[in-house]
This record gives sequence, C-alpha cells and structure tokens, in this order.
Amino acid sequence: MESFLEPDQPDVVRWWPLAALVLGFAAVLSVFTGYSEPESVAASRYPGQQNRVLQSVSSLQGKLHQRPTDAPAWAQLGSSYVELARITADASYYGKAQGALDKSLSLRPGDNGPAMLGMGALANARHDFAAARDWGLKALTVQPRSAEVYGVLADAYTQLGDDLAAMNAVQAMLDLKPNVASFTRASYYFETHGRADDARMALERALTAAGAPDEIAFCRYHLGELAFNSGDLDGAERHHTQGLALVADQTLLHGKAKVAAARGETDKALTGYQNLVTRAPLPQYIQEYGELLAAAGRSGDAAAQFEILAQQQKLMQAQGATDDLSTSLALADHGDKAEALRRAESEWGRRQNVLVADALAWALHVNGRDAEALPYMTKAMALGWDNALFAYHRGMIHLSLGQRAEAEQYLAKALSTNPNFSITHAPVARGHLQALRSGR
Amino acid sequence: MPQPHTVRVLRRSRATAALLAVGAALAGGLVPGSATASSHREAPLIAADPTVDNTDLYAFVSPDKPDTVTIVANYFGLQEPNGGPNFYPWAENAHYDINIDNDGDAKPDLTYRYTFATDDRRKNATFLYNNGPVTSINDENLLFRQNYKLELIDQRGGSKVLLRNARSAPSNAGAASMPDFRVIRDQAIAKVPGGGLSYAGPAEDAFFADLRVFDLLYGGNLTEVGQDTLRGFNVNTIALQIPTHMLALKGDAKRNPVIGVWADTERQSIKLSPGQAKADGPFVQVSRLGNPLVNEVVAPAGLKDAFNGLTPDQDGKVKALVDRVTDPELPKLIEQIHKIQAPAGARADLVEIFLTGITTKAGGPIKADLNSQLNNADVMAHMFVPSEMLRLNTAIPPNAQPNRLGLLGGDQQGFPNGRRLTDDVVDIAIQAMEGAAQSGALVQALATGDKVDANDVAFEHKFPYVAVPGNASVNSAVSTKVETKSSVLGDLPAGALIGGALGALVLLGGTVYLWRKRPSKARHRSTRPW
Repeated sequence: MESFLEPDQPDVVRWWPLAALVLGFAAVLSVFTGYSEPESVAASRYPGQQNRVLQSVSSLQGKLHQRPTDAPAWAQLGSSYVELARITADASYYGKAQGALDKSLSLRPGDNGPAMLGMGALANARHDFAAARDWGLKALTVQPRSAEVYGVLADAYTQLGDDLAAMNAVQAMLDLKPNVASFTRASYYFETHGRADDARMALERALTAAGAPDEIAFCRYHLGELAFNSGDLDGAERHHTQGLALVADQTLLHGKAKVAAARGETDKALTGYQNLVTRAPLPQYIQEYGELLAAAGRSGDAAAQFEILAQQQKLMQAQGATDDLSTSLALADHGDKAEALRRAESEWGRRQNVLVADALAWALHVNGRDAEALPYMTKAMALGWDNALFAYHRGMIHLSLGQRAEAEQYLAKALSTNPNFSITHAPVARGHLQALRSGR
Repeated sequence: MPQPHTVRVLRRSRATAALLAVGAALAGGLVPGSATASSHREAPLIAADPTVDNTDLYAFVSPDKPDTVTIVANYFGLQEPNGGPNFYPWAENAHYDINIDNDGDAKPDLTYRYTFATDDRRKNATFLYNNGPVTSINDENLLFRQNYKLELIDQRGGSKVLLRNARSAPSNAGAASMPDFRVIRDQAIAKVPGGGLSYAGPAEDAFFADLRVFDLLYGGNLTEVGQDTLRGFNVNTIALQIPTHMLALKGDAKRNPVIGVWADTERQSIKLSPGQAKADGPFVQVSRLGNPLVNEVVAPAGLKDAFNGLTPDQDGKVKALVDRVTDPELPKLIEQIHKIQAPAGARADLVEIFLTGITTKAGGPIKADLNSQLNNADVMAHMFVPSEMLRLNTAIPPNAQPNRLGLLGGDQQGFPNGRRLTDDVVDIAIQAMEGAAQSGALVQALATGDKVDANDVAFEHKFPYVAVPGNASVNSAVSTKVETKSSVLGDLPAGALIGGALGALVLLGGTVYLWRKRPSKARHRSTRPW
C-alpha cells in the first residue's frame, strides 16, 4: 500500500545538507509536532463535534484498504488531505495529497473531475496559482456544475489578480451552492472591494451555515479580523471569545494576542505570542512577536525572532516553497531590503494581485525608488479595499516624494481606518501625521 | 535589573530553543510557507453543509390514523448527543420543503415549507444552551430557541401560512439539563389548521444499517456485519401528518390515491454585483431526497452536485442519469467479486420503477399496478413526466404486522410503496441485487444481509412515531440487544417476490447513496490522520 495511505516516517533525509544538528533534534521532536493529533490545532471543545474531515479521511482509508482501485475514493482522499493541511497548518499533508491524487489520476487519467479538482486545490495551497487555474479549467470541462471547481478557480483568479474572472467564479459558486465555502469567498470579495458591511453579512451567513469546528473557527476569526481592521477591538475580541468557546483554534488565539497588543496590554500579548510561536511557528506570528518585543523595548529579543524568521525563510526556500510575497514584506521591514525587492519583483512576475502590487511598491520605497513605487501603489488600491496598511504605504511614498498633502491624506486614512494596523508602523504614521499637520 | 551577561545567556538559550523548535516543526511537517494569512486566505472548500442536508425521507399511511399520511424528513445526520454550545440548529435563510406531486407532472402541487428563525437569549453573556434544568418548552432556562413558520404553497405559487411562530424542540442537552425530554418533545407538536400535526426537532435516527456492509461486499467478506453503525446518533426531524384527502388530486383520495413525495432544501444566496442596495440572492436548491436509495446515486460522481440541484421534472432530460439507470455499475462489480451474474441488457425495468412508479400503464415489464400517479383516475397520461420521487399509494391500509422486507416480503404497505420507519431497505437491496432481478430467487450466500434488521430503539405508536432523541454519547451508549433474525429467507413468504428489478434499483441507489450521505464511522476511530 502507498506510503501516503499508511503511517510514514518523517522525511528527514533531504534536510541533511542544511543543518544536521538541528535536524537531529528535529527528528526527535517531530514525533511530537508533525505527528501530533491534528485535533490539537483545531479541536472542538466538545466531543460531539468531531472533525468531519478527519472522519472522512479515516472512512476513505478504510474503503481504499478494501478496494485500492477506487479512483474517486483516492481523489476524495487527496482533497481531504488538502483540507486537513489547511485546518492544521501542517504541510506534510501536501505530499500525501499529491500521492493520493496521482494515484487517482493513474487509475483514471481522463474524465476524472474529482482528482482534477483536488490537484487544483493542492496547487492553490502551494501558491502555484497558475497551475491551480489550469487544473480548475480542466476539471470544469468534466464537472461543469461543480461549486467546488469554481472555488478552485475563484481562489486562483483572485491570487492571480484577474478580478473579473474571480468575481464570476465566486458568483458561479454562490449560484450553485450557497454554503460556507461560497459565503466566505463572497466575503473576501466584498472586503477587498471596500464593502465591509456586505463582507460582514456574508461571513455571518457563512457562520450560520458552518457545520464543522474548523469552519466555525474560520468564520469567527475573519469576523474578528473585519472588526479589528476597522478599529473595533471590542467587536474583534467578542468574536475570538465566542469562537474559542467552541473551538480551541490557534488563529483565534492569535486574534486575542493581537487585540491585547493593540490595547497596550503588552505582557498579556507577549505571553499570547510566545505560546503561539511555540505551538505553530508561522512566519506571521514570529514577525508580529518580534515587532511586539521591539515595541516593548526588548530589542535583543526582537532581533532573535527576526533571526529565526530569516533562518526559517532560508529553510523554506531550500525546500522549494515559494512565498515571496510575505517574505518580501518581512524583509522590507526587518531584513535585507534589496532581497525584499528581488522577492517582490519575482512574485509580480508570476501574478499581478493587489497584495503583490502593494508589496512591490513598498519594496521599491524602502530601496528609495519612490517614483517607481507610486504606480504600483495605485494598482494596489484600484479595487477600493479599505486597507490601512495600503494607505500607510502610500502615505509614506508620497512623503518621500515630498507630496505633503497626499501624504497627510493617506496617513490620516490609514489611522482612521484602523488606528492599530501595525505595532511598528502605526506610531510612525502618527508621528508623521502630527508633523505634517503642525506644518513642520 | 538583572546583570547584563545573565540576560544575554537567557536570550541566547531562548533564541536557540526557538530556532530548534522551528527546525523541528519544519522537519516534522509544519512547513508554514503557505499558511500566512496575509498573503493568501485559504477558505474551506469542501463543506459538508449538514444543517440543510436531507438524510432520509419516509412516507406512510399513519398506522393509528389511516385517513392521514405521515411524512418524516430527516436532516443533519450523525449528530452525537452532547454537541456543545450550539448543538444542532436549523439553518436560517433557508427553506425546508416537503413537496407533493399528485398529478404526475413532476412539479409540486403542494409544498409544505418550513422556515426557521432563531431566538437567541444568550446575548453575549453566556455560551450556555440552557441556564439550569429545562422542564418545558417555554422554560425560562432555555436560552437558545428556534421558531418556525409553516406555509402551504400551491402549484401556482400562492401561499398560505398554516403555522406562525411554532416552536421547534431544542436539541437534547442531556439528562441533567433536560430530565424528561419527552415532555418537551410532545409540547413541540403543533396542530395544523384543517387537521394535521407538525413536529420539528431532534429525534433518534430512524435509519438502521451496518453501513460497512457495502465496503465489505466489495471486499468479498460479510462476516463482520451486525453492528448498527447509526446507533446512538440523532437527527433533526420534520414530521408532518396531513389528512389524505388534502394531499390527493382534486381532494379525492378514492379516485386518486397515489401521491409522489420528495423533500428538498434551499438556501438563500448572495449577489456580488455592485450597486445593489442589498446583496441578497435567490434561494438555491442545495439538497434533494425522494427515494432514499436513489438520491445522488444514480448520478455518476461528476453529476452528484448537479443532481442535488435538479428538480424532478428535469430528471428525464439528463442523459447521464438515465444511462446510469439502464446500465447500472453495481451488479457488474458484484459479478466480478461474487461471481453472481448481473442481469443482462438495458434495464427497462429499472427505468420504469425509477421514473414512473410501478404501473402497467407505462409499458414497463412489471405487471402490477401499485404506486404510479398514472393509476390515479383523474391524471391525464399525456401530462405525466417521469421523475424520481418516493411514491405512495394511500389506499393500501396499514399492515398491523409490517414485514421489514416491505414489498419484497409481500407487504404492499412497505417500501417502495412509500417507506415506513421499519422497512429494512439495506437487506432488501442486497437480496434484490443478488440475482433476484433475473431469477426471482434469493441468494443464499448473502441471505443474512447486514445483520441489522431493526432499529435499536423502538419506534412509537403515535405521531411523530420516531423515537425520542438519545442523550448518551455514542461511545458510551449502552449496547442494546438488536433483534436479528439474520436471514431474509426466513421472513419471506414463498412466491412473494414482485420482481428483482425492484431490488436492483434499490441496490443501485443504496450503495452510493449511503457512502455519500452517511460516512461510516470507524469502529475504533483513529485519531491519527493517516
């Protein structure tokens, strides 16, 4: 039986060239991390609400042991692994997903919509959005009325920056199957187009349709994010608390730590982040933890976090993971600025999404190329997204160009949209705005 | 102030530990490259959507009131008692429809539509479902309530509200919270104007089966069955009892005794297009169920979603669906594994049964008139549209001693003439498939079926007939003795078989349906992901 069906061992061999000592530890520790029960990440507090994805995986495995030539079951197993990777933030499921989907496609090469769908979902998860789009289009010819196929296409087009195609795909999804999958995507569409009330409505509809703990956690976290991003800390915390009453989810714990930091409850926030980075050392958590340490005056500790972040990025790069977008933003603020620009340009070469436009503009700015940065900033804001960080970036670019009125306008917009948009940058924005207004 | 060098040491060790943790996580699989929320929001893609998922449909002449028909529609399967603060609510912004076609045109002549509204009294103060014991449906301690509106919609779309603010029974929150759930359940039964009863709320899942039977069938091994895999689970139930004449064509159940029944759910969608005051979209059908063993099944994998969105009048136009009926895959698989010959040729018999009901008036091979609308005196044959639905001849009186094999057991009151709670559709399915279609003889090798012959909890003798929902968690549920005769042969009067075509249909439907709708629960549920 294939290794992606049976329990397998951590694939440490390919890590040898990197750092043998760390890996020695890692091999031991991975028994506790990589193989921890995924429920520990998104577990329900109530035994009655079992994770349906896990249930489906174990039932599919049972079926495939009985009948290993069942192509649709292999495809479903592959897609379930992609969902598990998302829920648990455990990328080791990607390999299993790939194996199961390859198996399905080898059993039935053509006319295999479920496997093509799974391949598309996997490509999206791995940030290979062009491949995801291609798989989605292929699946569509076999399954023209599948909401899930449109979901793959919606995610791919959104990330590739094809706004019209993304809207059509999300609408097709909604027309076929109004449920938590389509409502959450509708919400993101609204949010990125500056329609916050509609975004909230769509997420609330998603929440009432959510049937699994991970879905509830997703909706609560993003409802919290919508509140946070508009400066509503109480509203954000309410969603985190209500979500945590049902699901012990790390994203909700992250939300809580972020709110504490914004409120100036630094000790509480630091404890929260410390737990987070121990539990799931995602780059975003490490970066925010570092920024919080720096803001608290613990620059040495902060530097240590940024060093971890840099090491992590090297490891990821060596593994072939491409997340140039978040790496560029992190490096622009905390690392090698030239490298930040290289990363942003490379991402822009692959896709022209608003987030990438913003990252490229910011990378150009930190490298002193503000005149070139401004057009990208305009592209980033073209959809009308009320994004405080975008507004801040634009304000700073105008400031560097000596365009004081525009600088004042956008810095004010950043702070009025969300006064807590960044531990590092919000105080900078306040300082500049004050200076601009006092005419200095 | 700590001494500087001490601080440095601490810092270094903390940083080293963190670095090691990162390395460990990376090697162990927690490579976080694609999990950063800022760059890519990964939303759920494949949603089970249980709140609006039809799991079973029953329709039968009420045993204690034979001038009425009872329809039981179940949703949100595999509910474990003790579900947590939200338990198992009905969906808002959704329609739960029960449709009746009495003239055979495959369009609803009557739709009983349930819509639910939540009355959440918890505010933000508490997460508790109830604040102390709940002894009645209006108990102040009950903090999460759902009320419903029941509308009757006619074929022209005109609607009339039958019930407003009727109370749905809450989820069973356990013995401490709800010491006598039956009291609350019975208080939730509402009288429908014009005669009739309505219940919406939890119930013990009436379906009984060893769902592993189909996996095992494929594996060629039937030795490990006999466990009701649905024991201990609850469902959300809508039960509706209506005087038969109100459902019959022209109000005349004597001339027009046959009705077709199906349940569907619709959820309101969203419109993205800019410039609208409200982003509300239309209601979209997301689930559909008629004959419990055919839904989604006849559809090949790629068409399952489409089938859930189809209305019955579209069934006959979808070639892939019809092909799947005339040339079913399952008997062939069984032939490969068990060397039992599959019925040959195009299955005209299945088409008749699947799309028309059992009748001599559609030119099909089964020489019986049982449950097609074509047998209604006032139906115009040229208006008849073949379609998939559960068909019930209301003129056949209830059987005081129902045979669990229904029609196959010579009991015309049972499945597929409607479906009673006690009908053992899985065993009927297996027998019928194993050659009955061609030979009329049962197959000894598989006579025991799934060895689950009855529900673990007794059904009730009056409305809503389904059992009170359990409140013991599934894994701790006391193992009750399930009566197993374990041979369909023993139950069968000689010569009672109406024809294996029937069963083949059932089987065809049953297998895939069960997989799709009822993910089987592993006996020893692994907590590991592989």
